[in-house]
Amino acid sequence: MRLPKFDYRRPESIQEACAILLEQPSAKVMAGGTDLLVNMKHRVETPSTIVSLKGLPDLDFVRKANGEVRLGALTPLKRVYNDPFVAEKLPALAIAASSVGSYHHQTMGTIGGNLCQQTRCKYFNQSKWWRSSRPICFKAGGEQCHVAKKEHVCYSTYCGDVAPALLVLGAEVILTGGHGIRQVPLEEVFSGEGKTPLKLGSGAILTEIIIPKQAAEGFSTYKKSANRGSIDFPIVGAAVWRSGATGESRIALTAVDRKPVRARQLEDFLKGKQLDEDTIKAVDGLVAKETQLMTSSIDSLSYKRKLMGLLVQGALSEAKGGK
Amino acid sequence: MKQAIALTVNGDTYEVLIAPNQTLLEVLRDKLGLTGTKKGCDLGACGACTVLLDGEAYLSCLMLAVDAVGKEIVTIEGLSQGGELHPLQKSFVELGGLQCGFCTPGIIMTAKAVLEEEPQPTEESVKKKMAGNLCRCTGYKKVVESIMSASGSMGGKQ
Repeated sequence: MRLPKFDYRRPESIQEACAILLEQPSAKVMAGGTDLLVNMKHRVETPSTIVSLKGLPDLDFVRKANGEVRLGALTPLKRVYNDPFVAEKLPALAIAASSVGSYHHQTMGTIGGNLCQQTRCKYFNQSKWWRSSRPICFKAGGEQCHVAKKEHVCYSTYCGDVAPALLVLGAEVILTGGHGIRQVPLEEVFSGEGKTPLKLGSGAILTEIIIPKQAAEGFSTYKKSANRGSIDFPIVGAAVWRSGATGESRIALTAVDRKPVRARQLEDFLKGKQLDEDTIKAVDGLVAKETQLMTSSIDSLSYKRKLMGLLVQGALSEAKGGK
Repeated sequence: MKQAIALTVNGDTYEVLIAPNQTLLEVLRDKLGLTGTKKGCDLGACGACTVLLDGEAYLSCLMLAVDAVGKEIVTIEGLSQGGELHPLQKSFVELGGLQCGFCTPGIIMTAKAVLEEEPQPTEESVKKKMAGNLCRCTGYKKVVESIMSASGSMGGKQ
């Protein structure tokens, strides 16, 4: 499968990269390329220009200072989970990063690229030939959403593994753009729109991830269920963080909506409660309420709902053991 | 627009005229004639196109050739030295770690990167890291045995 034609730019600084993006809004940023190039081969993304970040220095790092962990956006996933501090103190992130795709994807794929990946749908992530039996879907440039059977909406699903882990760890991200540098909570970069799942701002690139000190002081884990356990996107993924000191819980889910979702009602329900059997049991009925499931994958909604309950319950049981 | 780039493959430097939308896999196979690297799914899901870039396992079908400039590329053709097979290759031959052989170059290149990172891996670790290399003859057991043997983890059998 050949890639479509495009102009290739390889800026040597972030400022230069941002300037290209401002100048050409249809240009796409490429980090590891494991998501974008597949979509381009399928002709669902056909940017006029690719801005390759492979030439940028200084965005590949895991740094610890004042208890904070700072990750450069171009740090390969493998380097993230192999970092001894991440592996020991931030297990949710280590487990999530090591569950992305295959060993190759973890070598090539970057943490920033993983966060900024495209949403997925059974009508979108297909070859041009496969898609040719239906009108082009809204996300791929047509009018109709084949999932919702409506025009001008898109219910493709955000399936990244790393985002829910970073959400429960309370991560913030640095967006470097033509209009300066902003630090925002990770949650704010996801638009909740299927067609354009990210809102980084014009000409902006996600350059750094900051995990606060508090994250390493609690229990955390990530649970994932996938069709092929070894190499696949999640059917459902769930991350849980629980503070040993305050008993505060944070729960986030992936592959259940157009963006990764913090389950705040569930978090409120767990506030001040001991994680005993009854509490963990009650979670099952609550967990799916804050998600907007659509049949954008081959898995049934009831199956996804059931998995959500099981994964969160499993994670909370581990949190109870304080492992 | 085509541009001239220099790629370092198996220790040799090649100057090639390429378009930016050509993948490293296409350039290796079609421009340099290094057809040992296989084109499987061409979407990064099967591992058949694995090559080493600075010692790391990369999917050459998801890598623009132009992004490989300045990297040390090693393909399956570059493993044997002076007509002598690499220990991994020997191990696969001796233990029957292949059937039709199509997936084998990708498997051996991934295995090389795995063993460089972890010279004495556990079987579990080998299975996890090799999971992105599909074999449709379903010969995974002997693949894992061949890698474990090459790593010397099976009682120095190699």
